[in-house]
Amino acid sequence: MRPACNEGRATPAPGRPALPPTVPATRPGRRALPALIALLLSAPALAPRPAAAHAVVVGSDPPAGAELAAAPPQVAIRFNSRIDHARSRLVLVGPEAVQQPLALAPERDPTLVEAALDPAAPLAPGAWRLRWQVLAVDGHITRGDIPFTLQPR
Amino acid sequence: MESLLDLYGFLSVVLHAAELVARTAVLGGTVFWLGLALPLAPWLPPGDAAQLRRIGQRAVAWAAAAGIGTALASSGLAVLALGATLDAPLADLLGADFVRAAATAIAAMAVLLAIALAGPEPGRWQRIGLLLAAVALLLGATAGSHAVARTEGQAVLLAATALHQVGAALWIGGLPALLAGFRLSPGSARMVGQRYSAFAAGGVGLILLGIAGYWGGYIGGTEALYGTAYGAMSATKGVMFALLLLLGASNWLLLHRYTASPRGLLRVRRFVEAEIAIGIAVLAVAGSLTSVPPAADLPDDRVTWAEITERFTPAWPRLESPSHGDLAIPRLQAQLDAEWQAKQAAQRPQAFTPGEGLLPPRNAQDIAWSEYNHHWSGIMVLLVALAALLDATGRVPLARHWPLVFLGLAAFILVRSDPEAWPLGEIGLLDSLRDPEVVQHKLAGLLVVGFAVAEWWVRLGRLTGWPRFVFPSAMVAGGVLLLAHTHAISNVKEALLVELSHLPLAVLAVVGGCARFAELRGPAEIARWARWTWPLCLLLIGLLLILYREA
Repeated sequence: MRPACNEGRATPAPGRPALPPTVPATRPGRRALPALIALLLSAPALAPRPAAAHAVVVGSDPPAGAELAAAPPQVAIRFNSRIDHARSRLVLVGPEAVQQPLALAPERDPTLVEAALDPAAPLAPGAWRLRWQVLAVDGHITRGDIPFTLQPR
Repeated sequence: MESLLDLYGFLSVVLHAAELVARTAVLGGTVFWLGLALPLAPWLPPGDAAQLRRIGQRAVAWAAAAGIGTALASSGLAVLALGATLDAPLADLLGADFVRAAATAIAAMAVLLAIALAGPEPGRWQRIGLLLAAVALLLGATAGSHAVARTEGQAVLLAATALHQVGAALWIGGLPALLAGFRLSPGSARMVGQRYSAFAAGGVGLILLGIAGYWGGYIGGTEALYGTAYGAMSATKGVMFALLLLLGASNWLLLHRYTASPRGLLRVRRFVEAEIAIGIAVLAVAGSLTSVPPAADLPDDRVTWAEITERFTPAWPRLESPSHGDLAIPRLQAQLDAEWQAKQAAQRPQAFTPGEGLLPPRNAQDIAWSEYNHHWSGIMVLLVALAALLDATGRVPLARHWPLVFLGLAAFILVRSDPEAWPLGEIGLLDSLRDPEVVQHKLAGLLVVGFAVAEWWVRLGRLTGWPRFVFPSAMVAGGVLLLAHTHAISNVKEALLVELSHLPLAVLAVVGGCARFAELRGPAEIARWARWTWPLCLLLIGLLLILYREA
């Protein structure tokens, strides 16, 4: 049976919807077998399988797993596909799981998504996530997290 | 809305595959009507001519209606998912490039549908309208493809995509119309078949040109063919392309070299039916491929050849149910823990589609349980295959009851799928049915019971008519859907290694289903081969399940 998994569910910022974190999928082999057998004999018993899209992260600033002494002035993610900037978003998820939507900078490169951080609202030390969702221009929605840590001063 | 997002990843691929099938049929049907039926009709007897025009007209009308429906569903789902995650007004979403591309394609198909509904013999301007609408459809489809999102070599990839789609339309898209054309008088049917084979040969050439473009832009090298999901799916597509070529070549020989006797045409019809089934499977893979990052973009963390040989080296099947006391389990768990820690330490940026989910940490108990289930299921499928092979010899009367062996498989699924629930676990049957996954597993088991009994009746001659084809049709549909499922976005090695074992199962299911279908449909000379082919496919499926390993 599907394990309960609400750990890490983020709290939406007031007035903005949360980007729901990804729901853990089931182990492919164990769950797939009945569906696999049924699939070979019967289409209606198909079980949902792990999915994918094709806008993947080529690089980011800060990089995934970075440990920073101070918050960067801006964040940027480069993708392998041309991105529809008007229909993409970046959200910072803080140590308390509070989400802070970021205003995207105007497009200067079709594969680059950037946003400046507000210097008047310094980030607290701890584990942060740069949560992104992008729409590739061919219509695929992709999302993910880039974790980084701000060290205590 | 959360449920929609959970399903988005899966539904989007299935809908996209359906859209691709319908669109290929629209383009192929248009070529058949404009390029074959209308020019050829004056050379045929009046009755055949009128019927051939109607076949072209109906092929376009039905395919366009299906194409509009699937395109609306596919783009509508993407808009809904986008709206749900961005909380943006609908008007903003409708300005997205992919929506404009889909709108172009839908408008083009609406024009095609309108012209088709006007009558079987279009006038000059209507023919120009058909041609322009088909070109607009191709442009709309290409504008919504992978290629448009690329930054390098975009022109070449756009051209490759367009050529590939035209090639598929010429060869595969017109097959339903061709099949209908074989109902004409034998002489006319032969002329239609010969003309169509010229289109199909051109289609093969365009497909190969498209592949050449994709190879440079999306794949990049042979190691990508087994090291990435994109490559593995492309290789599977290649295998089925080869099967299609074999069938196409057989048809060409039957139509051009041998006499067009009614029995000869019947053989061609069977091959065309198989071509349609395999063609749909190929398009399902193509639909699935559009949701995967190209192999060229994933140079790191690929599955290596050594990992594949290690995983696929035959090992003795796990025939005893695992228990915590099994000494192998702690050792396996230690290995898995080390792998998980190494993966976490890598800290690569991850990417997901809504609904994709994350693979949870691997658990040795789960793996042992899964392997045990696969191996026993494999043994039972193997027994079915051996019984069917014995039946094919015609020397063992008892073997005609081979479908009943599936009942053992059904019982196994019903009992073993959910170890937490009745009869193995502590959760009662009724309580466990609150979980949709348990319900799904129980239904799967019951479906296998249904198929076993139905197929048994078919074998005993108690079931006739179209219900005979339920089992082979379900095998083909199952294989197609297995091919159309979605994949891990980055190189998640474990998911890919599991997928590498499932891809051949899907191809074997499609081929086996086609063979069983052909055996039931005849003629005798095809049934004679088909009778041995599908049990061999089942035998290989059983062996693959027995050899299946997850670590």
